[in-house]
Amino acid sequence: MHKQRSIPRATTSIIFLVLMFLGVGLINPAFLDINNILLSLNSGVVFTIVAIGIAFVIITGEIDVSVGATVGMTAAICGNFVRDGHPFLGLSIAVLVGVGIGVINGFGVAYMKIPSIIMTLGTNGIIRGMIYVYTGGRWIENLPMEFKSLSQAQFMGTFTWFYLLTLIAMILIYVVMNRTMIGRYFRAVGDNANGATLLGIPVKGTKMVAFMLSGLFASIGGIMYTSRVGFITPIAGMGYEMKVIAACVLGGISLSGGVGSVIGASVGAAIMASISRILVFLGFPSDYDNTITGILLIIIVVFDSVIQHRSAEKMRKQRLAAKVVHSETASEVREHA
Amino acid sequence: MLNSKSITKRVFRWETFLILLLLIEVLVFGLINPRFLMPRVLLGSINNFMTISVVALFVTLVLVTGGIDIQSGAIVGLTSITIGVLWNDVGMNLYLALVIGLLVGTACGALSGFFVAYTEVQPMVVTLGGSFLYSGIALLITNFSATEAYKGISGFPEEFSQFVRGRIFGIIPHQLLIFLFLVIITYILLHRTKYGRYVFLCGVNKHAATYCGIRTKQIVMSTYVLSGLGAAIAGILLTAYLGTAKTDLGKEITLPVITAVVLGGTSNLGGTGGVIGTALAAFVIGILRFGLSLANVNTQYLDIPVGILLVLAVAIRFSGSNPTVQKFIGKLRRSKDLRKNN
Repeated sequence: MHKQRSIPRATTSIIFLVLMFLGVGLINPAFLDINNILLSLNSGVVFTIVAIGIAFVIITGEIDVSVGATVGMTAAICGNFVRDGHPFLGLSIAVLVGVGIGVINGFGVAYMKIPSIIMTLGTNGIIRGMIYVYTGGRWIENLPMEFKSLSQAQFMGTFTWFYLLTLIAMILIYVVMNRTMIGRYFRAVGDNANGATLLGIPVKGTKMVAFMLSGLFASIGGIMYTSRVGFITPIAGMGYEMKVIAACVLGGISLSGGVGSVIGASVGAAIMASISRILVFLGFPSDYDNTITGILLIIIVVFDSVIQHRSAEKMRKQRLAAKVVHSETASEVREHA
Repeated sequence: MLNSKSITKRVFRWETFLILLLLIEVLVFGLINPRFLMPRVLLGSINNFMTISVVALFVTLVLVTGGIDIQSGAIVGLTSITIGVLWNDVGMNLYLALVIGLLVGTACGALSGFFVAYTEVQPMVVTLGGSFLYSGIALLITNFSATEAYKGISGFPEEFSQFVRGRIFGIIPHQLLIFLFLVIITYILLHRTKYGRYVFLCGVNKHAATYCGIRTKQIVMSTYVLSGLGAAIAGILLTAYLGTAKTDLGKEITLPVITAVVLGGTSNLGGTGGVIGTALAAFVIGILRFGLSLANVNTQYLDIPVGILLVLAVAIRFSGSNPTVQKFIGKLRRSKDLRKNN
């Protein structure tokens, strides 16, 4: 039952993405060029990787609004070390910091019982301030060319290595989450935390791991950001948290937990990232970006909710009807007796 | 016995803790920088956190019903730019433009409120969509203006700005009085009317409220309408105070607003809270930021203490329901009782 409900949601998002691309292709055939599609997918690679991470947290029924600041912080750390000529040290420290932020969030939410939106709101402010302390409010520039060109390194045409890595991560996680026992813990905890406890699932530990993964992927996103953008300002990654949550919702992940998959998250991120490019091909100014995103988000979510509500009502009526028939036959039997 | 219990209950309320925190802040910052204690400076500090305080007051109602509203920042910007464009480029009377600005903000709140109340979508998702949508519309409206978007529309009449910037006797800022007025209005609305009780009931148990014959959907929607109205008021006040209408005026207020509401004792799960707590918490945060900046702390670092304050305060509040802490308290009590018996 559960599986049946969760898979079509990601599928609807994929169908929507394909229809959107085809629709734009009808108006401007140049859009359907394979290189162009790959370019527009690739422009959202940072979103996609951060969305995959936050998907764990949302699927367990929590939320993490500190990912934007985590992207900024890890980008600043990575950029600083790379500029000074210690790339590997920089990468490992950035990843450690990302996971560390996840541990703090997870500890607060799972063990201290602080509501996740408040805990991560707090850490978001703290990390954002720390970025200013760390960078002194200055930009990090003059990164070596080799590091910047990593983001441009291509594999078969315009398919970048970064996007390939993201895809591999996505597929691996999808398999782990759907085919292994531990992977299913996330959805179980998000669907019904008390029920999961009764089944012997470590609810606190699962939430902790979800936040750690969110921090880990945010730090990878930060590293990719450094390589792609090439300079870090103190406001790097600001507002990413909201965009990434929107991507997850577009991809069919429910904010109340238990429903959705990482594939949905990546598809949602792809939809978000392609909107601005689509606007260019349709001849609109990019000012429409936020408006379209907002309208899409509301329409898709409301549509989805109405359909779900309808089917739930239908099932309820069927159950009621079955009950009535059952009691009618029962009374007939009694009359005969 | 009963009397003493009710007194201790009243003394140990969350609001008392906030007032204490506020007093400590004033004392500490006064010691660091005596200029801070000058009435003109201390009272004038409200000008720095007026927007957040006003929006937080109205968002409290939304959180009491168990919802959340993260679109108010977008509505602040939308109201501001609507007024600017109507006055500057359409050539409308300023006061008519203000009324239309209020209506626009309220309509935005109503649209999101409708989706929250009448569909099963989570409030966070709807208002997230709303924040994209309204900030996007605000950006589109700037295209009607001859002025560049980043500059903002300025040159409003002097009396419009003076109404907000002015001070009574040169000491008490008008903004403080406006804020107190709004606190009283929202206090009466939430704590002294039937409507307010319905709002609380929706947060405690929506199904029970529906079965009691309360129109829960309308009540839930109305809180978002009020929150939109509050954001519009904040947008007007900020436009008047700065003398500029811009789209991004409310860009970074979402997180501080939620911080103020939650620090004020309103649970994000609904059912508990109040506007007095929110107002006090807004002052605690505002004075903390203002005092630290007077003590020569870089303004960009100020998110750190505010974040720490939020997490600590909520950790203390929620530790009451933490089983480990409860067990510890129970153990303490039992050992005390044992000692008494011995």
